[in-house]
Amino acid sequence: MRHTEYIDNLIVRFLDGNCGPQDQLELKNWIEESGENKKEFFALKDIWDTTLSPKDRTVEQLSLFYKNLYDKSKRSRAILIRSFAAVAAVLLLGLILSVLIPYNKSFQADNMQVFSVPLGSRSKVVLADGTEINLNSGSELRYSSGYSSVNRAVSLSGEGFFKVKSDADHPFTVKTSDFDIQVTGTEFNVCSYGDNDYSAATLAEGKISLQMNGTKQVFGIEPGEKFMLDREKRKYSLTHADIESEIAWKNGEFIFKNIPFPDLVQRLERWYDVKLNCSGAELQNFAYTGRFKNQETIWQVLDALKLTSPIDYRKSTFREFTILYKPLKQN
Amino acid sequence: MTTNFDNLFRKYHHRLLIYTMKFVESENDALDIVQNIFMAIWENGKFRDREELVQGYLFTAVKNSCINYLKHQKTVKKFEQSVSLQIKEMEAVHYHSGERSLIEKEEMGQIHHAIHSLIPIYREVIVLSRLDGLKNSEIAERLNLPLRTVETRIFRALLILKKKISQKSILILLYLKWVRNANH
Repeated sequence: MRHTEYIDNLIVRFLDGNCGPQDQLELKNWIEESGENKKEFFALKDIWDTTLSPKDRTVEQLSLFYKNLYDKSKRSRAILIRSFAAVAAVLLLGLILSVLIPYNKSFQADNMQVFSVPLGSRSKVVLADGTEINLNSGSELRYSSGYSSVNRAVSLSGEGFFKVKSDADHPFTVKTSDFDIQVTGTEFNVCSYGDNDYSAATLAEGKISLQMNGTKQVFGIEPGEKFMLDREKRKYSLTHADIESEIAWKNGEFIFKNIPFPDLVQRLERWYDVKLNCSGAELQNFAYTGRFKNQETIWQVLDALKLTSPIDYRKSTFREFTILYKPLKQN
Repeated sequence: MTTNFDNLFRKYHHRLLIYTMKFVESENDALDIVQNIFMAIWENGKFRDREELVQGYLFTAVKNSCINYLKHQKTVKKFEQSVSLQIKEMEAVHYHSGERSLIEKEEMGQIHHAIHSLIPIYREVIVLSRLDGLKNSEIAERLNLPLRTVETRIFRALLILKKKISQKSILILLYLKWVRNANH
């Protein structure tokens, strides 16, 4: 051994953060004694550090990043407007003020923030007031750059799970193409994709009120209830919902209970950003129940379906599959 | 544009955090440092470059930030912990002058693999210490061993891991060489 067991233990004690000043000094002297010692110590410390397992906070930090970015852009915009106003005051002294004010207003109103999530992925947005929104694949969230803790309105196309910061004085509004939802502080899911036959809102916690567009009709929705609108027939229903499966997507899971085959296909297409062509009218009559985690590939999902139901599939082109009806052999 | 950035963030955030925590004890400070690095590549647009360039840039930035952080700590803390800070500074300089950490070399998976191939008495202490985050004294208590024994076992385990990993790299080099020869 090049060094004594005493030094070995000293090194471990230092790494463990349990080393008094005297010990630290001794270790430092040993490290500086030779290039070899130094290399050895840093290599051992590197293994020690590399095996550290802090919680993986990537997702949380990514949404924090976007929040910081948003705060920053708001600040710089405020500065821009202020300096613009100062210059304007000097240059336009004597001009009628009423010309300037409406111009400034419309400039702000047109400034929409758009947050869109591509097909095949999901994302999370944290708004300035602390409201958190998980967005599902292929969704778009818009809000005015004037969004703040007193002006809380967003519009959504697609699917989102909202965790609204509680504030009874300043209601939070979600606008969709079919209805507006107003809440003060709750957790709920909204599903309103442009290409779906229906749009829906499911409440997990709290209370929401929903107003159909173009009418004065307002519905109160209670926790555990799902409001569903048939877009073509303009008919709505209020049913008891399975919250767990409705919002499983936000944790990267895909739970479905007794859903018709065409619905399953549509959800898989969006989830994986693929095109699934189905042939065979028989397929339309199947209902599916199951649970997938998002780690599964589209191949694994299709294989699972193939094992459990009378279908077969074929890859046709890049990101495109054909699903065929294939009756089970009777024997 | 954001997709590309998001992918980089997802791929490198955890590694950069672990790297920062080599030098920065407070996890909150480490998280701040990593956030600032990503903010910088967002603002200067470097995230649009080829990934090898971005990776190099990220790790250089993290090294610089750690050195600055340590310098700042030295002025803030003055006497407190000054020796351990000096050791950390020596280490930061060590990596700044070309040496690459296992974290940067993407050998983290290999280390975890190597941990699993340790003999049980070594694997046990490493798992408790590194993966479960116990202090040596807590490990000694749990395993009903003298503290000195735990320290010695951890040291030997680290030494074996070091050997295993350097052997692996040599094997990979040999293999690459063989492939190259076979191609000729």
